[in-house]
Amino acid sequence: MDKGIIDLEEGTTCTAWNYSGRRLASGSTDGTLSLFDSTDPASSLFNCSSKFKVHESGIVKIVWAPPEYGDAVACICADGSLLLWEEVVEDSELLNWKLCKCFDKISSHVLDVQFGISHTSLKLVAAYSDGQVKVFELLDPFELKNWQLQAEFQNVIESVSKFGNVSCQSASIAWNPLKGEIQQSSFVLGFNSDKPQLNSSKVRLVWEFDQDHQRWLPVAELALPTDKGDPVSTVAWAPNIGRPYELIAVATTKEIALWHVGSNPDPDGRLSVEKVAMLSTHDSEVWQMEWDMSGMTLATTGSDGVVRLWQCNLNGVWHEQAVLEPTS
Amino acid sequence: MPGLTSSESDELAIVPFSGDSEKQPVVIYPVRHGLKSPINRLSISWGCGNTLRVSAFPKPHGEAGGGGRVVEVKLSNSGDDEEVDAATWRRIAYSSVTPFALLQSRKHSGMSLDNPPYKADWWEHVIEYSKEISSLLSDRKPPPKPIIEDPKSVVNEIAEPTCLKAAWELLEIFYVDKQSQSWIPERLLDWLADYSSLFSGTLPTIHSRLVDFQQELGGVQVVEEDPNYWDAMSSALAVGWLEIVVKLLRLHGSYRFDQLVSRETENGLVEAVAVLISKMPRMRPSLREENLGECCKTKPDFLKAWEKWRAQISKLDCSSYWLQCDHQQTKEGLKNLIQIMLGNPSVLSNATFNWMELFISHFLYVRPFTAGLESMHNLAQKCMQSKPVSSPHKLFGLILGILGENTEVVLAECSRSFGPWMMAHAVELLTAGNTHAEILLHEEHSKLGGVSIEELHRLVYAQVLSSHALTWQIAPIYLTSCIKQGIGLLENLLYKQPVQHSQILLKSIEICRLYELDTISSNIMRIAGVHHWKHGRKGSGVFWLQQARDEFRLSRIAKQLFDFVGKSVSDEGFKQWEGLIELLGSESRTAGGLEFLNKYRNFRRSLLQVHGDTPTDAARNASEALVSLMKNPSTPQRFWLPLLYDSLKLLNWQERLLLNVSQTQLLLNKLQELSMARLRPDFVEADLASDALSSVRLALATTLGRAILEE
Repeated sequence: MDKGIIDLEEGTTCTAWNYSGRRLASGSTDGTLSLFDSTDPASSLFNCSSKFKVHESGIVKIVWAPPEYGDAVACICADGSLLLWEEVVEDSELLNWKLCKCFDKISSHVLDVQFGISHTSLKLVAAYSDGQVKVFELLDPFELKNWQLQAEFQNVIESVSKFGNVSCQSASIAWNPLKGEIQQSSFVLGFNSDKPQLNSSKVRLVWEFDQDHQRWLPVAELALPTDKGDPVSTVAWAPNIGRPYELIAVATTKEIALWHVGSNPDPDGRLSVEKVAMLSTHDSEVWQMEWDMSGMTLATTGSDGVVRLWQCNLNGVWHEQAVLEPTS
Repeated sequence: MPGLTSSESDELAIVPFSGDSEKQPVVIYPVRHGLKSPINRLSISWGCGNTLRVSAFPKPHGEAGGGGRVVEVKLSNSGDDEEVDAATWRRIAYSSVTPFALLQSRKHSGMSLDNPPYKADWWEHVIEYSKEISSLLSDRKPPPKPIIEDPKSVVNEIAEPTCLKAAWELLEIFYVDKQSQSWIPERLLDWLADYSSLFSGTLPTIHSRLVDFQQELGGVQVVEEDPNYWDAMSSALAVGWLEIVVKLLRLHGSYRFDQLVSRETENGLVEAVAVLISKMPRMRPSLREENLGECCKTKPDFLKAWEKWRAQISKLDCSSYWLQCDHQQTKEGLKNLIQIMLGNPSVLSNATFNWMELFISHFLYVRPFTAGLESMHNLAQKCMQSKPVSSPHKLFGLILGILGENTEVVLAECSRSFGPWMMAHAVELLTAGNTHAEILLHEEHSKLGGVSIEELHRLVYAQVLSSHALTWQIAPIYLTSCIKQGIGLLENLLYKQPVQHSQILLKSIEICRLYELDTISSNIMRIAGVHHWKHGRKGSGVFWLQQARDEFRLSRIAKQLFDFVGKSVSDEGFKQWEGLIELLGSESRTAGGLEFLNKYRNFRRSLLQVHGDTPTDAARNASEALVSLMKNPSTPQRFWLPLLYDSLKLLNWQERLLLNVSQTQLLLNKLQELSMARLRPDFVEADLASDALSSVRLALATTLGRAILEE
């Protein structure tokens, strides 16, 4: 039932599986990226197929680009830079990985980045340590080096004031995983910052792209009026295989909140939200949350060093179903 | 929601239970990473289906050193794994597809004819389905019958019984088989006979007692003096295993040829009991080949036969022959058997070892007319009180749920003990004729996103199937039977397939075609196309992008091909380029660029042929292609000069003139236009020799002069 499949080298800090789960990218403290592949789709035997240095500083997070755009990864490095690497064969040479884009690092660090597909193009949202959010758009589907800045904003509803010198420790972005052509692309974003305004419950926002006016609009806030401004550690948007509402998990330092988000906007363009569950994390911080492919099971892990699985019963009550405890 | 019993299982249940979540214990499960250093951090990722990949990272600069490890955890176990191994599960999964699909299509066609599927004969379809599934749950063939039958072999193992099959048959008996409603006690008796060995591991059973006795039997000289002989017979008789009792009775010493005369009365009594046992009336339509007893098809027949049989037993009981029987053990043993047949409760209780056996013995000898689940449930409760079990077998929980008419418990027991396969398939049995179960299972739950429990279990099972590379292909059968969320999950499943493997790609496309999932099909082909293109297999790339009808990416590819225009490329390079143009075709809707490329290809081809055997003809063709290219509005302006420069050889053709006056004038005009355009700031200078323009102009002027002269 549990089986070790890949041994990681010393110094490995992060791993990411591609869309099919047949390829693993791992990043290490010395800035080396390693790729593990299995030749046979039925086998669970993985071998290191490429290994190269992507940057001077260590890799802290790897995100795969959607497969419609090839085999490419975005690497966030310890110094806050963001790099895009792609696997290509060029001019009948051998297969190799090449750097296709290094996003300019001006003053702030990149904290999180996620790719989202809209029906025409690939978008990339990056959250920066100064509390800014940037949305980039890919111009040519075959050229991962040509990105255009589509929007830049702060994760607040009213952009009346700028918050001077903000510094955020972490941020988390999750796109609506639906790949349908009707649905507008949208994502949810939360910060963990030293400014309460940026943590505040009002800014766990769902942003949606308004195709008609070509701009991003906040369409829902995942907070109750009574919520205090707990910093958000991570967010996860569940796949929707037919529910009439969307399901989003938001983890703060104290709890995991599950939200139902309606799919039809009210006249003001806002979506209805309902907090359906508050899951206790037993006083541990949640670092990562992942929904399974049906959106019925949520797996979480964090400072307590275990994996917890959460499910909803027939009465709509969410509860902890199982704990996966690492043992040697 | 009422009554879920405890769920102290050590397995991961994927199905949301209907119980009170507060009370439900959280299952702790180990992830054995095998690393020496303490773990600093975990990272998780879901694979396909219920596979969870956990990366464990040790503390940096830890004492033990070393790197981390990725562990794959399959959450999709199928009930009790110790009983059925993975390969057998896959065989069961594969073979249950056809019966399931057939039943679904029957249901579907019944519905479309506005013909409620639950009409009178629906259960016949379900029973057919049930029998088929049941037959595939044990693949082991019965061992060949010995040619010379061992007279001392009492217990025959026909096929290896499994709890899964036992549970399936229980559901079939109580929920589906309408014909057996009147003889359920007899069916339970058969059931116990088949599966009694399953309980032997955890409980004292008659079966294990008989197996022990059989081993002993070989060494015993005078069986009738062995108390175990009589105990074994009374136990077997209590649960109705008549043929075993009769067989054992015939081993009695009084049958031996040398003793027949001296023990005549004794032998007569033994034989009388044996005959009575073999004539026992049974209320059932037919008996199995090896079984003894007299079948009675109707209740009145049975009643009559039962009265008569009981009278005969009583008569024998009071017979004076007993006084003439000298052998004490035989007398007591036979009397005991008679007491069992007369339904003496304390004797029955002594002869049986667990409540299920006692339950069956009461059916047979105390209350042969018990009918209805309620009275059966009461009886079962009573039997349990007199024979309590410390660790109840999982099948007992299921039986109690069924007898208690508590569908929730039945579902929970099935799910807990037998896993997602059972849940997905057994729902058909539960809903076959039971209105309560049908409402419960078909009701849509808004809390679950609008799916019914039936659908939920199919989704869960499909997810289990998706976890394995050898079974994901059958998941669509189950998903497409889910009205609400099946297609959504199927799309996610297909999207996650590694389509760079051509077999998986073709299989995925086939599934898409079958269920008309055009969008996802295009998407899969697009992923494959981009993958091949980026990995140097340009032809495959273009092919799959065309299949995906991805005009956007195709036109981008066409633009990339422009880069070749005007460049002096090697023959090899040109061939590759030419092949791609060929592949892209000219039917593409974004025809502008491609039309030009096609024309350009013709031009380049004839230009290359100029070096061939018939240079002049080729040159004529090439110059016509040139004129056609230059005339065409889709030819980008930036290529005009490179085209003309490439054609210098044609313009300066010595043997004969290739262009007429008007053609030359057209080219000169284009050149003029180009000179004007150069004044604009956005003009991009072609990467050509500095004298390109002047040499083209000179060549054109010369040609014009020659043409005028010729005309």
